[in-house]
Amino acid sequence: MKLIEALEIIHQHPRNQLGEYRVSLVCSFSPLHLETLLHAFLLKAIPDRRMVIETGLYGDFWGNLARLDKERFDAAILVLEWGDLDPRLGLRSLGSWAPSVLEDMVRTVRTRSAQFLLAVKHLAASLPLSISFPTLPFPPVSYSPGWRASEVETSLTFEIAAVGAELSRLRNVGIVSLSRLGVLSPPANRLDVRADIISGFPYRIPHACALADLLVKNLQPVPLKKGLISDLDDTLWSGILGEVGPGGVSWDLEHHSHMHGVYQKLLHSLEQSGVLVGIASKNDPKLVDQALRRSDLLVSRANFFPVEAHWGPKSESVARILAAWNIAADAVVFVDDSPMELAEVQSAHPAIEGVLFPKQDVQAIEALLHRLRDLFGKYLLSAEDAIRRDSLRLAQEARENEPVQGQVSEDFLKQAEAELTLQFGKEPPDPRALELVNKTNQFNLNGRRIGEREWQDFLREPISILMTASYKDKYGPLGKIAVLGGQLVGNRLTLPVWVMSCRAFSRRIEHRCLEELFKRYDLEEIVFDFCASPKNGPMREFLRNALGQEPAPGCRLSRKIFQDRKQETYHRVLELTNV
Amino acid sequence: MSDTKQRLIHCMKAVFPAIPEQALEQAQNANLAGWDSVASVTLFATIEEVFGLEIDVQDMKHLLSFQSLLQYLERRADQKGG
Repeated sequence: MKLIEALEIIHQHPRNQLGEYRVSLVCSFSPLHLETLLHAFLLKAIPDRRMVIETGLYGDFWGNLARLDKERFDAAILVLEWGDLDPRLGLRSLGSWAPSVLEDMVRTVRTRSAQFLLAVKHLAASLPLSISFPTLPFPPVSYSPGWRASEVETSLTFEIAAVGAELSRLRNVGIVSLSRLGVLSPPANRLDVRADIISGFPYRIPHACALADLLVKNLQPVPLKKGLISDLDDTLWSGILGEVGPGGVSWDLEHHSHMHGVYQKLLHSLEQSGVLVGIASKNDPKLVDQALRRSDLLVSRANFFPVEAHWGPKSESVARILAAWNIAADAVVFVDDSPMELAEVQSAHPAIEGVLFPKQDVQAIEALLHRLRDLFGKYLLSAEDAIRRDSLRLAQEARENEPVQGQVSEDFLKQAEAELTLQFGKEPPDPRALELVNKTNQFNLNGRRIGEREWQDFLREPISILMTASYKDKYGPLGKIAVLGGQLVGNRLTLPVWVMSCRAFSRRIEHRCLEELFKRYDLEEIVFDFCASPKNGPMREFLRNALGQEPAPGCRLSRKIFQDRKQETYHRVLELTNV
Repeated sequence: MSDTKQRLIHCMKAVFPAIPEQALEQAQNANLAGWDSVASVTLFATIEEVFGLEIDVQDMKHLLSFQSLLQYLERRADQKGG
């Protein structure tokens, strides 16, 4: 993005958004173009809000950081440079670089690093933070020549890296990858000495742009993909299975097919991080089964679900995989070495992201691995990630046992040994609840995404209630699958938040959740802050059935109508109370 | 309208979006409330980006109106061409 484009994005952005999104930009230099570029990237990431970026006092990083705690923001961006850790490391300071002061520089940076660590840990409890550690070249303070890493440079780099390692484990903290920044903005092209001296802005504009992009990505992640469907021949492995047999396909250095093995490693890692990985291959299913059971495969047969191997069109395989996963095509990436197969799948599933496996170009395969990491990258792993594949596989088996496709029989529900665990506590805030609210599309009352600060404000309201539900049955656990957040006035509950994972459909959990709310709070009616979205059809259908009419914003469900129309449920309900 | 003038108007519009295009040609630092030091730095950076040149620090203090900027940019274009 160029500066002029950023200015145009800001000025052309409509003014009638839902509300303000207040961001604090903490840095000690004059924020100038970085602020403009951040503003534009934030608007692109969160188009329905009006951005307010507040910057602190020039030259006072630590004071600006301290003031963050006293004001209310939706997020904060912390841009730390060498001069903030010790002014002598900045170009604008004329503090000594004599060898005798180098040790003191290390001590000062150590103290500042510890101060930064403490402050960020404290702030991260309630505020999403995006942080960049020094991106400008280390100044020539040491007596060593520039090609030799000096003691002072290595010591200071180590201090910063140690702080980064500790902070990167925190849920609300995103740290800009210096490795990725290096790809986008080569270190030698970052510092603008002239601008630093004239206006106190140290970055060249392309560097400010790359940094702003990554800072905003850390703050407002792009929607991640949930499933990857891979081809086999010349993709998962090198060779055509039908021609060379299960023993003839390869993924090793000896056969010059090593990068297929690296691709397998990545698939294994993705699958272990909770990504759904399926196979769509035009092949003999028996041969596929044998090949996938080879012990030297770096991703095992059990990591793939489902495996669609037959001679029919791949678009049909993909349709079946999407049905088994119960996720929308726009959450899925399809990888194949054949442009024709990619086109065939994309013609039937336009929302799917098709990716060509560049089998002849090892450099391009390496780039593909980075791209797949970006598409599926998670910030932190949760227990739910680990059980998703197993629960889907079991759900598929359960569906196959069903007498009528698409309907759930009473007998099936009765014998499922379903157990619903409800939790009503608001403190401490459960990070999984907000995560579920912000990633659920289909059974979502209004599709509205909620920021950390907004969520905490909501929970702090004395009239607010929160119910989360975890589910398991004899086919396995689904983990935490539903979140209901509302405000209680007398016998009326207004629900602005209700989401349920699509993995939990067809178990009547939604009926039971409402029943438990009516019972627990002795409700006369529930008011739904419903809003139709392009994706929340299942929620709309449920409300239509429950209300007996098309749902509208603010629609109400009385106790009587609920009792008259509710479906029988067979869950054993347990309640956990937060202490 | 010359290409230089068109591109300068493009830059001015990006930095001063509230000013009507006709008024931009008369704009100067002294008669435009929003034309402060931050706007100047932003305008110079935008011009440098759009015209692919670097404005000398010594020249900056004289470039405080649309007309002076236009003359400066035309002179730079002539120098480049010549």
